[in-house]
Formats: sequence, C-alpha cells, structure tokens
Amino acid sequence: MSLLELKGLSKQFGGLLAVNGCNLQVAAGEVHALIGPNGAGKTTLINLIAGVLPPSQGEVRFQGENITHLPAHARVHRGLARTFQITNLFKNYTVRTNLELAVQARSGSSFRFWQPVAREKHLTEAALAVAEQVGLAARFETVVGRLSHGEQRQLEVALALASKPRLLLLDEPMAGLGAQESERMVGLIAQLRQRHTILLVEHDMGAVFRLAQRISVLVYGQVIASGSPAEIRANPEVHRAYLGDEGGAA
Amino acid sequence: MRWLFPLVLLGLLLAFPPIAAATGLEFYQGLLSKIMIFALAASSLNLILGYGGMVSFGHAAYFGLGAYTVAILMREGVSSGWVIWAAAVGLSALVALLIGAISLRTRGIYFIMITLAFAQMIYYLVVSFKQYGGEDGLRARRPEFGLFELNDTALYYLTLGVLLFSLYLLHRLVHSRFGRVLQAIRENEARALALGYPVFYFQLVAFVLAGAMAGLAGVLMAHYTQYASPNLLAWQQSGHLMMMVILGGVGQFWGGVLGAVVLSVVEEVLQDLTIHWQLGVGLILLLIVLFAPKGLAGLSRRGT
Repeated sequence: MSLLELKGLSKQFGGLLAVNGCNLQVAAGEVHALIGPNGAGKTTLINLIAGVLPPSQGEVRFQGENITHLPAHARVHRGLARTFQITNLFKNYTVRTNLELAVQARSGSSFRFWQPVAREKHLTEAALAVAEQVGLAARFETVVGRLSHGEQRQLEVALALASKPRLLLLDEPMAGLGAQESERMVGLIAQLRQRHTILLVEHDMGAVFRLAQRISVLVYGQVIASGSPAEIRANPEVHRAYLGDEGGAA
Repeated sequence: MRWLFPLVLLGLLLAFPPIAAATGLEFYQGLLSKIMIFALAASSLNLILGYGGMVSFGHAAYFGLGAYTVAILMREGVSSGWVIWAAAVGLSALVALLIGAISLRTRGIYFIMITLAFAQMIYYLVVSFKQYGGEDGLRARRPEFGLFELNDTALYYLTLGVLLFSLYLLHRLVHSRFGRVLQAIRENEARALALGYPVFYFQLVAFVLAGAMAGLAGVLMAHYTQYASPNLLAWQQSGHLMMMVILGGVGQFWGGVLGAVVLSVVEEVLQDLTIHWQLGVGLILLLIVLFAPKGLAGLSRRGT
C-alpha cells in the first residue's frame, strides 16, 4: 500500500490551474523525486500535501486515510513533515532553540503554562541528536542568522527530521547551494533514505538520478510520467517536455 | 546582588503608606496605586503585543469592561467584591475570546483595525446605555470584601499584591512551553505551523489571558477612582497602553511596568508645567522609538 496517495488533486488560483488532476503514489521506504520545469506546480503540490493550501478538487490520502481536510499542524502529528524551498527558520534563535521547538512539537502537549521549558533536558538531548545527525552539532549554540546558507539548508532538513516524520517532503533542498554544499546535502539525503520515505522536489538532475528510486514528472500541473529513473530517462514524452531542455542531463 | 534592587524596591513600596500618612504625602500613595494599575494593564498588553506579536489596538475594551462591571453590579445591588471580581474577569475573558476568535483570522494592519473596531463597538454600546450614565460614566462604589475594608490604603496593598501575583504568573508563562511557542509564532508563524503547532489556538489562549488580566486592571481602576468612565473604553486608552508598552520595551518582561511608571510620572510632571504636556510626551516617545527600539527595559543588559 502506498504511504501517500494523491487522487485527481487540483488547485486553481483564479484563472490559473496550478495543479490539474494530479495522481501520484509514494510507496513506503522509497525516495520519490518530483521533477518538472519551473512553474509546473511542484511547490503548490507540496503545499497541498502539507495542508497549507486547500485543494480545489481531489483527495490526499496518507497511510490509507483521507487527510484532505486535515489542517497543516495535524498532518505533522500524523507524520508528514516538510521543508521549504526558500529557507524558513527562526532566524533570531539559536540552532538549539530551533531544534528544541521542533522536538517539543512532537513530544507531549505544548499547552503547558507553568514549568520552565528550559528545564526539560530531554528536549535538548533530542535536539542535539538531530543536530549530530545532520552535522550541525558544532553550531548548536549559534544564532541561525550567522549560519552559512548551506548550514541553514541543513537545519531546514533537521527541523523536519526532528518531528520524527514517516514522510519527508523536501522542497528543493539543494536550492542556492554551491557544488560542495550540494554534495553534502546529497550525502545527508542518502543517509536519511535508509530510515525515511522521502518525496523530493529538486531541479538538480544529477542529485535526483543518484537518490531517487522512482521519479514522477510534473508538467503544467499534471503528472505526465512516473517510473524508475531508467524508465524516465527513456521516456520520449519526458524528453520533449523537460529533460531535452536541459541539454540531455540524463 | 541581583535580587537586592527588587527587594529594596518592594520594601519601599510596602513601607510607603505609613510613611505617606506620617508625612502628608497621601497624594503620592494614590499616584502609586494608579501607576501599579496601569503597570498591570500594560503588562497584559505586552503579553500579546510583545511576546505574541499581536498588535491589538483594542485593549481598552477589556480594561473598560472590568471597570464597568464593578459600577453596574454595585448599582444593581451586588456588593460582594469577590463576586464582582470573578464576574469582571470572566466577562473580559469571554469578550476577548469572541473578539480574538474573529480577529485572529486576520493579520497585520487588518488585525489592528478589527481589534480597534471591536473596541469602538463596545465603547458606543456602553455609552448608549443611558441608565448606566451614558457619556457621563457611572459611579462605582467600592464593594465589600468581608475580610477587610477597601479604603485607600487597603486598595494600595491589594493592587500591589495583584500586580506582583500577575507578574509572577506572566513570568512563569513566558518561560513555559506555551510561552516559548507563543514567541516562536511571533518570530515565524509559517515555520511554527510547519512544525505542527496549531498557531491559532496558541494566539487565542494568550489573547484571552491578556484580556482577563486587563479586565482585572479595570476593576482596580474602578475601585481607585470609584467611577467607571467611558474614557477607559476609548481608543485613546488603547493607545495610552500601547505607548506604555513601546516606551517600556515591547516583549521585554519589565516593559509594561517600566512604561507605566515612566509615562505616568512624565505626564504628572509635564501637566504641572504646561498645558501642552502632550507635546512633551510625544517627543519622549519619538526619542525612544528612534534611539531605543527595545524600549527602556532594552537599555539595561538584562532586559528579559
């Protein structure tokens, strides 16, 4: 059974059909890449899955349940965590506080008004463990605004990880990274795929073909092809719509 | 050493009434009561404005409703202070719940405008009740508390006690799990939502708590002046509380208290000197905003 299933999902912004009857299945345990030209509706699709936007039509199913009308925060508690294409962090807080907030969200109620949160050592320990996992332990007490762009992208992934997701939605994790930083991010995702199901939106074709077991191609809000990397490489329709424009990146 | 200054200050505040009585400085005891009431109201606003990032321009609504609850219940023959307090705090919380539940669906300038609009609706609603004084306001006799008689000195100590207790609650709150999430939402709402926090409910709970606390400040104000004035509900009063918070330090723990003290003293002094005192207040506010954006509390290193 697929972990995530989209059935005829559409999103209309005024006259623009950003996502148009999209069908997609992500199986548990796989890295599923979503590629497509700019403006194909990839980020809109992520926002529909995360619950930030309500769909105009269609259904989102997660672990067999219909979550189409579940609010964004409740989806996180079901095990859906997302990162942002444009880095979206608590810039004035330290790496530690960012991660502690992410851990806290999934560790008991936060409608607690009395006990000092600073005394909850288990939050710090869990936060540090995630920092180690993504290679930010040395920057634990650093204010996010002082981190390099690459480190901020790592923290972006770390925040999603800290919520112990069943499905990670990574929205262009390589965006704006240099070659070396990209390489580190690919390494990180390769390590994460041992334990997490990942839906990866990415423009970097090299990274996609190295990481993904399945690839879906989104063009004008529709999935025009879905298959293994080899199948996608060989698909003439995909070539015409997308890969060909990249000068034969495959 | 860290506790020396607050302890000395507390000692002075506790010892002030007998000293004032002996030296004929009762006027200043009244002024201190008034300042402490404003410190409570401004601190409650600072919870949502400073810690929550919710720029409510209608905080006078709860302040005024607290005062009017005293006046109207006393007028209708309810004379138990405890009942009146509970009713006032409960009503303020309920009104804050309704206003918050609607207003918190908007953001930015719309939130400012909608909270202002609700407060103005309450203002005109109260003023339209001719049997409760209309635009003249309503006399608010002091209720009975059973254990003590609420004279000026008892009110001074009662106000001091309520202020200290409320500040303690606020201190626990802003350092709790809830307080941390509330501040995180102020920093980056979309991120807080993506982490799985139901942003709306955190904001609403803070909004209601702040409303209830402002209502309690309004009760004390009615006890102090023995009068419920429509001015307490007016938008100028909301602005007055906002000025205190900005002056003292938005999101700084002592911001509300410092702002209330400084603004009240400045007003008192300037009013004696000139009828154009508001110009002076404006200039001071301008200087603070320009040169100390974290307010007076932000000037000291230990602001929070």
